[in-house]
Amino acid sequence: MTTQLRGTDVVIVGMGAAGGVAALPLAEAGLSVVGLEAGTWLDQRDFAPDEIRNNYRDWPMLVKKAEQERPTSRATSATRANQIGGHPMMNAVGGTTLHYWAQSWRLNPWDFQVVTETTARYGASRIPYGSTVEDWPFGYDELEPYYDRVEREVGISGQAGNVRGRINSRGNRFEGPRERDFPMPPLRWTAFHDRMAEAARSLGWSPFPGPAAINSEAYQNRPGCGYHGFCNKGGCPINAKNATHITTIPRAVDTGNLTVITRAHVTTLEVGSDGRVTGVNYVVGSNEYFQPAQVVLVASYTYENVRMLLLSKSRAYPDGLSNNHGQVGRHYFSHHQGAGVGAFFPYDLNSWYGLPAQGVAVDDWADDNFDHADLGFIGGGNLWIMSDRRPISAANMGTYGQSRNWGSAWKRFIHENSDRTHGSYIQKTTLPYEDNYLDLDPTVTDPLGLPVIRITGQFKDNERAIAGFMQDKMEDWYREAGAIEINRGGLGNTMGASTHAYGGTRMGDDPETNVVDRWGFSHEAPNLGVLGASVMGTSGARNPTLTSQALAWRTAAHLVESWRDIAE
Amino acid sequence: MKVSLPVAMGAALLLTGSAVTGLRGQAPMTFIVESPTMTTGRFMPRDYSPDGRNLSPPLTWSGLPAGTRQLAVISQDYGAGRPPPWVHWIIYNIPGDAGGLPEGIPFDPDHPMPPEIAGAVQGNNGWGLPAYRGPAPPLGSVHHYHFAVFALDEELDLPPGLDRRELLLAIEGHVIGQGDMVPLYERQPMNQFPR
Amino acid sequence: MTDSNGRRPAISRRDLLRTAGAAGAAALVPGAVAAATEVTPATASPEVAGQGPVGSALPAETAPFVARALTNLTAREAEILSAMVDRLIPSDEMGPGALDAGVLRYIDRALSEAESDAADAYRAGLAALDTYSRYTRGGPFIDLSTVDQDSVLIDVQIGAATGAGVGFVGGSGSFFNMVKSHTWQGMFGDPEYGGNVNFAGWDLLDYPGVRLGVSPQDQRDLEAGQLEPVRRSAYDYGMFE
Ligand SMILES: Cc1cc2nc3c(=O)[nH]c(=O)nc-3n(C[C@H](O)[C@H](O)[C@H](O)COP(=O)(O)OP(=O)(O)OC[C@H]3O[C@@H](n4cnc5c(N)ncnc54)[C@H](O)[C@@H]3O)c2cc1C
Repeated sequence: MTTQLRGTDVVIVGMGAAGGVAALPLAEAGLSVVGLEAGTWLDQRDFAPDEIRNNYRDWPMLVKKAEQERPTSRATSATRANQIGGHPMMNAVGGTTLHYWAQSWRLNPWDFQVVTETTARYGASRIPYGSTVEDWPFGYDELEPYYDRVEREVGISGQAGNVRGRINSRGNRFEGPRERDFPMPPLRWTAFHDRMAEAARSLGWSPFPGPAAINSEAYQNRPGCGYHGFCNKGGCPINAKNATHITTIPRAVDTGNLTVITRAHVTTLEVGSDGRVTGVNYVVGSNEYFQPAQVVLVASYTYENVRMLLLSKSRAYPDGLSNNHGQVGRHYFSHHQGAGVGAFFPYDLNSWYGLPAQGVAVDDWADDNFDHADLGFIGGGNLWIMSDRRPISAANMGTYGQSRNWGSAWKRFIHENSDRTHGSYIQKTTLPYEDNYLDLDPTVTDPLGLPVIRITGQFKDNERAIAGFMQDKMEDWYREAGAIEINRGGLGNTMGASTHAYGGTRMGDDPETNVVDRWGFSHEAPNLGVLGASVMGTSGARNPTLTSQALAWRTAAHLVESWRDIAE
Repeated sequence: MKVSLPVAMGAALLLTGSAVTGLRGQAPMTFIVESPTMTTGRFMPRDYSPDGRNLSPPLTWSGLPAGTRQLAVISQDYGAGRPPPWVHWIIYNIPGDAGGLPEGIPFDPDHPMPPEIAGAVQGNNGWGLPAYRGPAPPLGSVHHYHFAVFALDEELDLPPGLDRRELLLAIEGHVIGQGDMVPLYERQPMNQFPR
Repeated sequence: MTDSNGRRPAISRRDLLRTAGAAGAAALVPGAVAAATEVTPATASPEVAGQGPVGSALPAETAPFVARALTNLTAREAEILSAMVDRLIPSDEMGPGALDAGVLRYIDRALSEAESDAADAYRAGLAALDTYSRYTRGGPFIDLSTVDQDSVLIDVQIGAATGAGVGFVGGSGSFFNMVKSHTWQGMFGDPEYGGNVNFAGWDLLDYPGVRLGVSPQDQRDLEAGQLEPVRRSAYDYGMFE
C-alpha cells in the first residue's frame, strides 16, 4: 500500500554534497522543498577520533545503503563483472561530505574545452582513439560566479593564485581568474610541507597550498581546524569540516521551506503521459510513499542517479527515464587515482597530526600546463603532498625490504620508522570512451531486489601514459626532498567503484550525446534535473566536489529564475 | 621415488642461465657443487620444503678456482615466476674458505650465522624475505631447483636484502667460477604424511 | 513520520546500537540475551572491561559477554591464537607484545561484534595451523620452538602452507593476513576496544596520542621531539558515543 503524500514544489533525492547545496538557493527563493535522504542525521557525538571505527569498520553509520548496492565492475564487455572492494560513500544528511577529505578544487579553464584546446594546439588527431570527450557547453568564466558563491556559502580556505588576472605566485598560477580571494587563508603547513615545497622550487616547479572545505580560522561561528589527524574517512568532532549537514542544509531548513525526510530510500521516479515527471516513490522500512512534485532533482551520487533513471521505466521512456537517446550510463569514467608512489625518508616527517586536505600542490604537470607536442598523451595530473597518518595504518607501512613485517626485528624497524613514509596522491585527467559505460547488472541485486549498477570500464592508453609520466615526476620530487626508497603502484586497468565517478548523465547542448542540457535539466523530461558529477564530461586533474556544488547551485538558481518554464 | 633425468640435461644444468660474465669478459670456469642430502636430478627431502621443516639444505663445493675470495648462492626455479625465475634463496658474502653451507641457515636476521660462514648475509627472495623458503610447486607438478654458486675474486661487503637482479649487478665482473646442482621437488599431500 | 526535519533526535547512537545488536545477537545465537555491541562505558578502564562480571561498574547486560566470547573461541583455539599473536608482536626488549596489549581480548570481542563474519575463518584457520604444524614440524603449534613457530608462520603467510588436507580455506595467506590485520588493530587501535593496554602500541610507534586540537606550538614541539604524549582513549573525552 503506497501512501500518497501532499505535493511539493521540488523534491531533491539525496541530501549530500550536491543536493545539500542546491537546497539553499531554492529554499531561500521561497520554493517548498522536500529533501529525501536515505541516511539519518549524524553529529559531533558520532565523530570520535577512532581509527578502528572510521578506517577499519567503515563507520557504523545507521544506514549502509551504498555498501549494500556496490556496483559490479569489469574491464570490458567480454569479461564477467564482480563486486570487488567496498564502497565508502556515506548515507547521512550531508552525504559523503561528512567524512570526505574536503579538498575543494575549481577545475582549470582547459578542462572545459579539452577538444577545442587540444585541436588548436596539437591537431584533432591528438584526441585519444575511441574517446567521446566533448567541450563543456560553457567555459570556466560561466561557472566562476557559482564557484565564488559556493566557496563563501560552504566555506573554503586556500591561497588565490589568480585574482582577476593578477598572478600571485604563492597560489596556483595556473588557475583560472577568480573574482576574489578565498574567504579564509589556507590551512597551515608543517616543517615537512615546507621541505617539500622547497624541493619543488628547486626543481623549478610552483608549489602552493591546496584549497579545502575546512576552516583555517573561525568561520560562520564554527572554529578553525584542530588538525587532530582523523579527518580521513572521519567526521569532524569540532565542526571545522564544512560538510553540508552543518552549512547549507541547516540554513535551508531555517528558512522554513526545506523539509528533510531521513531514512527515505527513493526507488523510482513516476512519469505522466506527457513525459513529465510527476514525483518519486520511496520506502521507509517496509512503508511505501509517493511524493508528488512539480520538479525533481536527483542528487544521489553518480551510480544511484543512473540506476534510478534506468529503473524508472514508463510508456514515455521504455528504456528508462530520459533515456530515449540511449545516453543514460554513457560517457562514464572514474578518476584515475591509482598508480601511486610511496617514499621512505631517513628522517621523521612529524605527520601524526594533520589531514589529507592540508598539503602542498604542484600543478605544473596538470592539464595542458606543459607542452605535450612530443608526449604520447594529453592531460596530466596534480601532485599532492598531504599529512595523513594514524597509528594502525602507520604500523602497516611497508618495510622496503628491511625486515619481515612482523616479529621482533619488525618491532625495532617500526619503532624507528613509523613516521618516515609518505604516500602521494596524484589525480590525473581521465577521459570518457565509447566502450566505458554503466548499465544495470543482470544478476546482482540490492536488498530490495533491484539490480545494482554494472561498471564496464578500463583505463586506456592515454590514462596509463599519464600515470607513468606522473610517477616519474613524483619520484623526482621525493628524491629531491631526500627520499631513500621509492615504490610505485601499477598503472591501472579495470575501473572499480569509485569515489570520483563521472558521467552517465552528461551535460551538453546536443541531446544525441547528452542527457541533460547546459542547465542540468533533462533534454527529454523538462522538469527533471540532475545534480552531481554524473553531469560532468571531464574530470580535470582534481577532486570533483566543489565543481559539483557550483553546478548544483547554478542548476538551482536557473530553476528559480525559470520556474514557470520548467515547473508548469 | 625415482625420476630419471635425460643425460643431456645434466650437462645443461651446470650453467645457471644467468647473464653473469666473468673476469675481463671470459667465461667463468665451472666447479663442483654437491650436497650430503641432495642429488642433481633426484627429489630433495621434504624438510627443505614447506611440507617439512623448510630448512635450507646443506651444500658443499670443491675445485674452486684459485683466487676465490668469496661466494654467493642463488636458489631459483626457472619453471615459476613472472618473469622466471622464482627465487627461493639468496645468500652472499660467504667467506672464500668455507667449504659449503651447513643445513638450516637462520631465516631470522636476529639469529647469528654459523661461525664457518661468519659474515654471510641473505638477500630477498621472491617473497621479499631475506631467508630460505623451499619449493612449493603446484600440486602434481615436478619442478627443478637450481642451486647456483658463484666464486668471486674479491671480498665484497654487500648489504643484506639485495634481490637477484641487484646481486647479479653487484657481482658482475667478479665471477671467476660457477657451479650448480639441480635437485627436484614435488609437493606431497599432507594427508599422506604420518602425523 | 521518522525523525524528519529538525536536527537529530535526542537518542544516542549507542542506544540504537545496543537495541540493534541485541536483536541481531538473539536472532543468531539462541539464548544469548542482550549482550550487545560495545556496552562498555567509556569510563571503564580497558583492564576491567571484558574480564568477566565486574559488579556495578558495568551495566547488567555486560555480564554474558565473557561467556559468549568463550563460545566464539574455544580454550584450545584461544591457546593457538595466543601463541600466534605472541610471535607476530612478541614481548621483547622493545617493550610489551600483542598479548600484553590485550590483542586476544580485542579479537575475541571483535568476533562477537563487527567481525562476526570472520568467526568461521578463525575456527578453520586455527585448526589448519595446528594440523600443518603437526604434519610438517612434528607437533602442535603451541609446543614448537619459537624458531619453528616463526618458520610455520612464514609458510602460512606466503601461502605455502596450503598442502592438500590441511584445511586452510582460500589459502593460508588470507588467514594470516586476517589475523595480522586484527592483531594490528588490537595493538594500535583505540584502547576502548580492549586492546592497546597501557598504550603499548602507541608507545612503540611514538604516537603522541589522541588530541582534539593540535596548536601550531604543539606541532613545533612535535617537530622538536618535545611533545608530551597524551594517554587517553577518544572516548575518555566524554563527548563521543
Ligand atoms: C573518503 C572520501 C574522500 C573524499 N575526498 C574528497 C575530496 O577531498 N575532495 C572532493 O572534491 N571529493 C572528495 N570525495 C568525493 C566526494 O565525497 C563526492 O564527490 C561527493 O560527496 C559527491 O556528492 P554527491 O552529492 O553526488 O553524493 P553524496 O555526497 O554521496 O550524497 C548523496 C546522498 O544521496 C543519498 N542517497 C543515495 N541514494 C539515495 C536514494 N535512493 N534515496 C535517497 N537518498 C539517497 C545518500 O545517502 C547521500 O546522502 C571523497 C570521497 C570519499 C569517500
